[in-house]
Amino acid sequence: MRLYDILVLLTPDLSEEEAAKVTADYRKLLTDGGAEIGRDEPWGRRRLAFPIERRREAYYHLFQVRALPPLVAEVERRLRLSEQVLRHLAVRADEELKRSAKMAERIRIKAAKRPPRPPAIPASPEPAEVAAPATEGGEA
Amino acid sequence: MTAMPSRGGRGEKGGRDGKPARKKFFVRRRKVCKFCAEKLEYVDWKDIKLLQSFIPERGKILPRRISGACALHQRKLQTAIKRARSVALLPYATD
Repeated sequence: MRLYDILVLLTPDLSEEEAAKVTADYRKLLTDGGAEIGRDEPWGRRRLAFPIERRREAYYHLFQVRALPPLVAEVERRLRLSEQVLRHLAVRADEELKRSAKMAERIRIKAAKRPPRPPAIPASPEPAEVAAPATEGGEA
Repeated sequence: MTAMPSRGGRGEKGGRDGKPARKKFFVRRRKVCKFCAEKLEYVDWKDIKLLQSFIPERGKILPRRISGACALHQRKLQTAIKRARSVALLPYATD
């Protein structure tokens, strides 16, 4: 099982309910295929940074799922075929996370290895000497 | 004598002709990689706010020489921006 981010852009020609229905279809497809859904976020109708097929807006929906590669391939195939989907992006998210976890670990170990500070110089007899006059007070 | 190293052309007018050039030692703030400083390892392509800070007006990717990002993070930033572009979260170009 691998972790994937799948972002789907639906045409703005659909109504809110229709868009919700379409995303529900994909959700069903994912869960039926044995995927665990981590995040399931409708971003709503957003303005596109540039027009796609003459549309200036789209419904965005993000899934973050833990699934097997063949399932994601199948979902992607359907996303490509669907006319309601303007565009989609499915990328692995676990590799990056794993690497960053590793990196964090390495930094921690390095920090732990580095001695916090050279331990204090073996106490010289001076402190004892200093302590004595301090009790006397006005010696200056 | 022709191959005199002259780095950072600006702000060193009176540098080379004998005078004790004071201007030579202008302070240049050391740039630090934003991601290293904040200990962010993972550059998320969905975080448009963050990515937008590395996109100047024209829509191009801010070069390392200006942003100060380290090689590793610039590379990650680059892929993140390109991914965001592919789904129209960020523009390819604007004018």
